[in-house]
Amino acid sequence: MREQLEQMREEALRCIGHASGENALQDVRVRFLGRKGAFTGLMKGLGALSAEDRPIVGQLVNTIKDEIESCLESALMTARDQEVFRRLQSERIDVTLPGRRLACGSKHPITLVIEEVCDIFAGLGFSVAEGPEIEHDWYNFEALNFPPEHPARDMQDTFFVENNLLLRTHTSPVQIRTMLKQKPPVRIIAPGTVYRCDSDATHSPMFHQIEGLMVDKAVTFGDLKGMLTVFTNQLFGQKTGVRLRPSFFPFTEPSAEVDIACVICGGKGCRVCKQSGWLEILGAGMVDPEVFRHVNYDAEEISGFAFGMGIERIAMLKYGINDMRLLFENDVRFLRQF
Amino acid sequence: MKVTYNWLKEFVDFDLSPEALADVLTMLGLEVEGMEKQGCGMDDVVVALVEEKRQHPNADKLSLCRVNNGTEILDVVCGAQNFKQGDIVALAQIGAILPGDFKIKRSKIRGEESCGMLCSEKELGLADESVGIMILPEGPALGTPVFEALSLKDTLLEIGLTPNRADCLSVAGIAREIAAKLGTTVRYPDMAICEGPDAADATIGVTIEDGDLCPRYAARYISGCRIAPSPEWLVKRLNAVGMRSISNVVDVTNLVMMELGHPLHAFDCDRLEGHRIVVRRAGEGEAFTTLDNQQRILTADDLVICDASRPVALAGVMGGLNSEISATTANILLESAWFKPAAVRRTSKRLGLHTESSHRFERGADIGMVARALDRAASLIAQLSGGTVARGAVDVYPVEMTPPAITLRPERVSAMLGIELPKQEVSDILVRLECSVREIAAEALEVIPPSYRIDIEREIDLVEEVARMKGFDAIPATMPIARVVSDRPTQHQRVERSVRDILVAHGMNEIINFSFISPDAADKLLLAEDDLRRTAIKLANPLVAEQSIMRTTLLPGVLEVIARNTSFRTMDLKVFEIRRRYLPTTEEMPHEPLCIAGALTGSRVDTGWSSVRDSVDFYDVKGIIENLLESLHIRGVKWIADTPEMYYHPGKSCSIMVGKDRIGTFGEIHPTVQENFEIEKPVYAFELDFVKLVALSNQKRSITAPSRFPDSTRDIALLAPDELPADKLLECINAVKAQEIEQIEIFDVYHGAGIQEGHKSIAIRIRYRSYERTLTDDEIGRIHAKVTATLLNKLNVSIR
Repeated sequence: MREQLEQMREEALRCIGHASGENALQDVRVRFLGRKGAFTGLMKGLGALSAEDRPIVGQLVNTIKDEIESCLESALMTARDQEVFRRLQSERIDVTLPGRRLACGSKHPITLVIEEVCDIFAGLGFSVAEGPEIEHDWYNFEALNFPPEHPARDMQDTFFVENNLLLRTHTSPVQIRTMLKQKPPVRIIAPGTVYRCDSDATHSPMFHQIEGLMVDKAVTFGDLKGMLTVFTNQLFGQKTGVRLRPSFFPFTEPSAEVDIACVICGGKGCRVCKQSGWLEILGAGMVDPEVFRHVNYDAEEISGFAFGMGIERIAMLKYGINDMRLLFENDVRFLRQF
Repeated sequence: MKVTYNWLKEFVDFDLSPEALADVLTMLGLEVEGMEKQGCGMDDVVVALVEEKRQHPNADKLSLCRVNNGTEILDVVCGAQNFKQGDIVALAQIGAILPGDFKIKRSKIRGEESCGMLCSEKELGLADESVGIMILPEGPALGTPVFEALSLKDTLLEIGLTPNRADCLSVAGIAREIAAKLGTTVRYPDMAICEGPDAADATIGVTIEDGDLCPRYAARYISGCRIAPSPEWLVKRLNAVGMRSISNVVDVTNLVMMELGHPLHAFDCDRLEGHRIVVRRAGEGEAFTTLDNQQRILTADDLVICDASRPVALAGVMGGLNSEISATTANILLESAWFKPAAVRRTSKRLGLHTESSHRFERGADIGMVARALDRAASLIAQLSGGTVARGAVDVYPVEMTPPAITLRPERVSAMLGIELPKQEVSDILVRLECSVREIAAEALEVIPPSYRIDIEREIDLVEEVARMKGFDAIPATMPIARVVSDRPTQHQRVERSVRDILVAHGMNEIINFSFISPDAADKLLLAEDDLRRTAIKLANPLVAEQSIMRTTLLPGVLEVIARNTSFRTMDLKVFEIRRRYLPTTEEMPHEPLCIAGALTGSRVDTGWSSVRDSVDFYDVKGIIENLLESLHIRGVKWIADTPEMYYHPGKSCSIMVGKDRIGTFGEIHPTVQENFEIEKPVYAFELDFVKLVALSNQKRSITAPSRFPDSTRDIALLAPDELPADKLLECINAVKAQEIEQIEIFDVYHGAGIQEGHKSIAIRIRYRSYERTLTDDEIGRIHAKVTATLLNKLNVSIR
């Protein structure tokens, strides 16, 4: 019986070794370990053995069965792995073919810059305000301390409508509308479309600005510098150099032009910054007392600063666009890049 | 404003390179926008001595020279004849680059080596024409660059002045700023005058009739002048700042204007009737010919300078042809006056006549400079023309204009700027700016600005001056201490951003068109004659007719973008625009509602190896709109085929309704409109009323938990007449109000073989599921039968 068992063991292991694939292995299992399999048959012969031999042989049978079982299991595992491997091999595809994609849309670069600037200022506690584009002369000029017959009006070539209406030349009238509606503190940012009757390679008759205004107790020129430094660093990267130099706007005093270190050359001087190392991106200043008078704020009690920037200019710098007209040609080959 | 570095040096001492000077000026608020170096890069043209000159062996007209440049003797071939041995000449050495990008190289001319070129004035860009080479005076060391030796090195600074700085429209004005910054003083030109024995007022007289517009008018009389070309120094000086030389007398008035900033005018006194000047307003409709030979029709708002009977100049703007200096002029009346800025501006603007004079007067000239500029110019005219200045000036100045006395609280300076500045420093800065400063209380100064600073009127103006002189760089950047305010974006702002995001997510590109459009857009859209969109706001001064009215609809712009892109052969387009339109109202202000418009054309998906190339159609647009409305939680939307617009295909367009509100329209663009916009292929467009979307987007919504029981689906295939809209079927099924219906989907619509003419086959799949239990086949069968029966009873349909 021992010999028989040994033979059967060898036979089973041989069969396992020769079986190819999962099905053949299952056949081997049935043949040897199944209910009608070889071992079952052999076990029937156990009864004929002596009481001493019976447990010894029984144990041997179990050992051999376990051995065959575990061989079968590992052979099955290998067979399955191989099968999966073969299937996966046959399913190989060309990963370099282009993906199947839904075309991506794009926001206009002007929108992108407006959203980015508004988001930065939202984080500084500014809310977004809006105003009409067809504006009254009083809001666009007079309340901002541009008297009639003043040469400062020449700084902004104006499209006129009728009845003292005009296309706003800047977003600054939103300052006036906001201050007339609410009492200090005021912290607003006002993006919008503006118009000047001027058209060439560097001027568009329609363009966009973002206006900012902060009015509170004891706001200083130093605070304006601080706020604009934080803003430009967020927009153009930390450590972007910022320079304020004196300028003139009727509605602010002191007034400043704000330059940033050229983002193209890092301040060394290049074509974009006209070798100066600086790029003018903002106009700013302390709100003129005359403006406060027009909106019935007491300039002795409160102070504030205002600033304005051209969106096109920022978009052109951020995205390296060298011709402003590209922004309004709406060529989809251009727009898809955003 | 143009000024040169050397000219400034005559007015003020400074030890700054042109670049450093430009930086100082820019940081003072006088932005240097451009610098032009003269004689720069010409250092290889040096002073040299002709040691030997002999005939070229192979050419009659050339000579061979040995030239000493101070360090070596060079052989140079020269074609000019106007020089001799021992002359000092300008030698362009090898490597020099002359005007016109002419490079000097070692060369052989007719077999003889030449190591440079002897230059003429023309070749150096110093004259338009020249005969022979330039012979230099003796004196400068050999080897010195010629431009340095002749003091021709200079830098032209172009300064972009802000309109408030009228005081800087002169060399003296800019020099004053430099002096104030550096703490030095300005040197004014010599204003001493040498007068003849006869009194001016014996010959000339001045009467001001309108003292409001002309507070001061001064004149001098210069007799016996000879009109001639100006001397070279004067011509060069004017040329250097871009002015043309005319004659000695006129040039002096221009020179003094550039030096001191005060515009002057010289009249031919013999052509002034009565030798008199009368300053008055023009008569309404009075004609006058300015010296540019243009006839101008004047109004009573214009101030004119007249002689005894007629106008001879437009005050502060331009002189008249009838009294201008001519070659035969002998006696001159020289005007130096001060006119009210607004008056000069009004006249100059109305006539479109902008002159150096009007530019200064309308910004505000210095009334304190009237007499000094007059003296300086009179004395120069006398010098250059051999004339005699009559004794005394006729200076009519009835009411003296004095600068305001301003109270300045030094602590206000600190509070405004955010930097501690001692009273003494504030005072010192203002004194450097030629203000007179007096302490009137412990914490208050009385400041009187100089007469040329007409822009300084208030305390805040002085604060700015202090900040400017102290330097903005000296003010530390701080963050404000502020009160917290609530500033959540409004519903309008949030919806605007959502709409953009959703449309972009659908593969659409955002466009931005100009807000002004062509008046013919309404015709191109086939709008009815009484369509309100034909009433647009017009620009009074458009740049071009195509941009002359404010749009009442975004559609023309969107269609133009489609046309432009397809003309570039970009055929697959999905674009949208979210911008305002501009509607006239009966109130003062127009209405500017935000609108959404878009258009699609070409293929649905990007072409590629795995895509089916299908063209976009009505249902692509509808799908986008459905998604958009769903994202905004707008429900109860109805699609009504009411042919909403003439510019749509009548059979492929509809209105989008929520209740009784039409929130938008969309459809295929009518072929005629498509043609009008020069578009080749069908285009689908939509327009949505943003304002209504915002109002509707506020709908409350409730979320239900999904059922955990299994589902079961049943299909129905129906035969229906073509006219029966699909939503009737859906409505009918919904009307059964079976809670177990989870979803209804139209999964196929079919026309053609096997289907009766005028009919369509519609296949509907209904998914049943209960929230309470697993539905049995029987239960589902009963509900489904009820649905089927309702469809067959209520609608003209049959089971296929």
